[in-house]
Amino acid sequence: MNQFGVLLKKEWRENFRNYKLFWIPVVFILFGIIEPLTNYFLPQILDSVGNLPEGAVIDIPPPEPEQILAAVMGQYQLVGLLVLILAYMGTIAGERKNGTATLLYVRPLSFTAYFLSKWILASVVGLLSVWLGLITAYYYTMLLFERIDFTKFLQFAGTYSLWILLVVTFVLLLSAAMPNAGMAAAASLLLIIIFQLADGLFGAYWTVSPLKIPGYAVSWLLDSPGNKEFWGTMGISVFLILAMLGSGIWMSKYNASKTKV
Amino acid sequence: MDQTTLLMLLLPILVIQLGLMVFTLIDLVKNPNPKGPKWLWGAIIVFINILGPILYLAIGRRNY
Repeated sequence: MNQFGVLLKKEWRENFRNYKLFWIPVVFILFGIIEPLTNYFLPQILDSVGNLPEGAVIDIPPPEPEQILAAVMGQYQLVGLLVLILAYMGTIAGERKNGTATLLYVRPLSFTAYFLSKWILASVVGLLSVWLGLITAYYYTMLLFERIDFTKFLQFAGTYSLWILLVVTFVLLLSAAMPNAGMAAAASLLLIIIFQLADGLFGAYWTVSPLKIPGYAVSWLLDSPGNKEFWGTMGISVFLILAMLGSGIWMSKYNASKTKV
Repeated sequence: MDQTTLLMLLLPILVIQLGLMVFTLIDLVKNPNPKGPKWLWGAIIVFINILGPILYLAIGRRNY
């Protein structure tokens, strides 16, 4: 437990000093503000840059507030995931490369504590960013459009949090498994895109899949998703996260010998 | 919508974006060994909105 505390402190310092603790939430907040604003000013924006003929009338119905939160989530699915992947691709692979790992590996190191300390800090930063960003978006939507029921918002954000945990765990697992940070980022991006594509193409045939979490999160805003599918999905995702944690610990131990000085 | 409310709405974006840019530029100037040429990163940070600073912080700082 003592070792775990030390490693956790090390991770905390690292995230603090390379500013990840600050700039990742800022990016998420920025997108949380921009999305409601562009939706609100869409008629004016079209008017000024749309190159429309004289006298054209643009009549856009104001979007539902729920749609805007869903759109913010869509941004996080693209840019947000990219930011998280790029920020945490090097957590383990990079340490092997820059020599921090050699300092750690020569000691009697518990790889469980090693991997879990990294996972906890990455998850904390990811969840903090997503929650701050979504709350900003919620606030702006309330100002510019209408108020969304807060319990609905909590259900939405809570469900989406599990997806973020899933992605963070996946990135750390690949960082432990791959020889360098670039490969880890490329593999996680490629796999996440392929999985989502597969889910988009054939997803109609299954209802219980971790890839359905963002979809179910949005459906909390409109009405509740089906009970059985939802809890099935959540259960499988939690199981998957635990399995990935296990294999991540194993992979970081297995690859410890590949350190180059 | 009058001018002040408009300003109140847009101010956070401006502050965050400028803050991110200035912060990143200062870090770039101080960074002894960034990944790639400094002038290119400077141009990316200044000219690419939002994504420029993010890219520098994520892959340009060489912190791993």
